[in-house]
Amino acid sequence: MALLEIKNLHVSTEDGTEIVRGVDLSVNTNEVHAIMGPNGSGKSTLAYALMGHPAYEITEGDILVDGESILELEADERAQRGLFLAFQYPHAVPGVTVASFLRSAINAVRKAKAGGEDDPIKIPEFRKRLDAAMKQLKVPKEMAGRYLNDGFSGGEKKRVEILQMALLQPRLAVLDETDSGLDIDALRIVAGGVRELVGPEMGALVITHYQRILNYIKPDFVHVFVDGRIVREGGPELAEQLEAEGYETFTPEPVGGEA
Amino acid sequence: MDRAGFLERYEALPLPSTSDEHWRFTDLRGFDPDAFSVNGDRARQAGESMLEIDAAGVAEATEGAVEIVQAPEGVTFAPLDDHELLGTLVGAEDKLTAHNAALWKHGLLVQVPAGVELAKPLYVRVGNSTPGGTLFWRLLVVAGEGSRFTLIEESASAEPELESYSNAVAEVFLERGSKLEYVSIQNLSRGTWHFATHRARVDRDAELDWVAGGFGSRKGKVTIENRLAGQGATSRVTGAYFADGDQHLDYDTLQEHEAPHTTSDFAFKGVLRDRATSVWRGMIKVERDAQRTNAYQENRNLLLSPKAHADSIPGLEILANDVRCTHGATVSQVNRDELFYCMARGLSREEAQLLIVRGFYQEVFDRIELEPVRDALQSVLEARLLAA
Ligand SMILES: Nc1ncnc2c1ncn2[C@@H]1O[C@H](COP(=O)(O)OP(=O)(O)OP(=O)(O)O)[C@@H](O)[C@H]1O
Ligand SMILES: [Mg+2]
Repeated sequence: MALLEIKNLHVSTEDGTEIVRGVDLSVNTNEVHAIMGPNGSGKSTLAYALMGHPAYEITEGDILVDGESILELEADERAQRGLFLAFQYPHAVPGVTVASFLRSAINAVRKAKAGGEDDPIKIPEFRKRLDAAMKQLKVPKEMAGRYLNDGFSGGEKKRVEILQMALLQPRLAVLDETDSGLDIDALRIVAGGVRELVGPEMGALVITHYQRILNYIKPDFVHVFVDGRIVREGGPELAEQLEAEGYETFTPEPVGGEA
Repeated sequence: MDRAGFLERYEALPLPSTSDEHWRFTDLRGFDPDAFSVNGDRARQAGESMLEIDAAGVAEATEGAVEIVQAPEGVTFAPLDDHELLGTLVGAEDKLTAHNAALWKHGLLVQVPAGVELAKPLYVRVGNSTPGGTLFWRLLVVAGEGSRFTLIEESASAEPELESYSNAVAEVFLERGSKLEYVSIQNLSRGTWHFATHRARVDRDAELDWVAGGFGSRKGKVTIENRLAGQGATSRVTGAYFADGDQHLDYDTLQEHEAPHTTSDFAFKGVLRDRATSVWRGMIKVERDAQRTNAYQENRNLLLSPKAHADSIPGLEILANDVRCTHGATVSQVNRDELFYCMARGLSREEAQLLIVRGFYQEVFDRIELEPVRDALQSVLEARLLAA
């Protein structure tokens, strides 16, 4: 049984426009999958739909985690099952520091694990874990006391997304263009952080436009995503071909009679 | 005017109605000030203190008495009697202030002589406990030249459902170069009609730092007015309010710049739940001579339910030409994407909302210098937020 199984998934926006038009994909622990596709093809929509964003409606198909459908679950319950989304555009939470946000999130997940009983992490232990993760990801110490994503630079936001991932220890991480906005050093650090976490406890789905992050993360599978569908699947060599040729060759023939 | 004159004036004036611009959103139908008994003999102190504070002076006031529990040294901290400044900032301009002027009996005089600095705050607890009673409260503060101190005023009710009428007037004078931190926290019962008029005059190079917290009461109006009367005067007012159920809060603020090189900075944040409503009205007035003035005014409201409602009305009247003014007013709901972002990290909808609300207030809490005050406001709020 796959960790994550997406079956014939169709996703529409609130006004009824279909964005994701039939996606099948399985991700397991120990695996890194890359999704590459042109702007506006529906990659973020797929990511949001996995996480349960209320602006998107699943009109057909299913999403299974450990063989169980999660369609009826709200975002928090999906997170508690081990799903994590590193947002392409992380939202600011003014007035809430990175540290206190993370502690609340960790405690929420712990509470769910303890069957609804409060089981808060001890503050010294939290501090220790936070310090270690920040050090590893080279996030400056003072970021912990800043309000989450409030006035952060693009790259700072992305690093803090990965910091959250490192502390929340999800089972399936979806990274939506985490590489865009990162400088070369940060990219190496972040990719290293992801690679380190992928193993028997975690699988990853990496959405990107660039070969560069894949050089570090080394995906096991590459999926080419065009117009709401996966149009080609292969190994890492597919990413290189894309980098060289662009999406032109992968664009599907128009369906039906309309020109 | 004497007491009899004030009473006559009170009787002659009508209650404000929604056709008065300042009362447009605060409808007093159902309120009859004459239906409440006056200056009852109850002298029972209301409820527990909200603050844990090591104070230099402590006073307690009720409908029937004012008592100095602990007298500070070197300053006047005493029941208010006649005083040359009494009534010079707040007169009897409308029915409600006339009512207070006519009938108040128990008040407090805080007078800190020139040059005196108090390390510990002065603390007065005002409480109502008489069902159907009236709490008239009168505060007169005089900060002498170059003095520095903190005054904390807390209003609360003995019972959460007490039906009552509260009418407060505070006149605050900051003489040259003085600095006053004034904290007023209102947590009256949901059955209390609450009217308060606070007016401060800030003289040359003096600095007023005012924190106003509003969590209780049924309906009414709180007026907060600062006159920047001397060159180099500064006033900062930080407000936080929260209302739920059927509560209605009304803040009416005025920043009046009379002298050049003066600064005022008002920032209020409010959160409303259930069917609660609020009005915030701000006015910055800059007189012709008040050049080089900085005036900031901000009011932000967060609505937690579809039936909650906030009106926010900023205003500017600027006669000088060399001034810097900014103002901002917003009323918003919890942002769906922000909520989703938090929930995607495992927080339940309620936890996420609570976190966002705490964050929303944080900015105004960050402006509060006194830690015990910040803690007290935060814990009053927490208690209210968690009592869904
Ligand atoms: N909530 C929404 N309402 C309306 N249209 C939407 C909504 N969300 C996405 N879309 C549209 O759906 C399409 C796919 O958007 P999506 O963000 O999923 O693309 P993407 O593949 O992530 O693109 P990029 O590479 O630029 O990030 C776009 O045309 C976008 O405008
Ligand atoms: Mg995208």
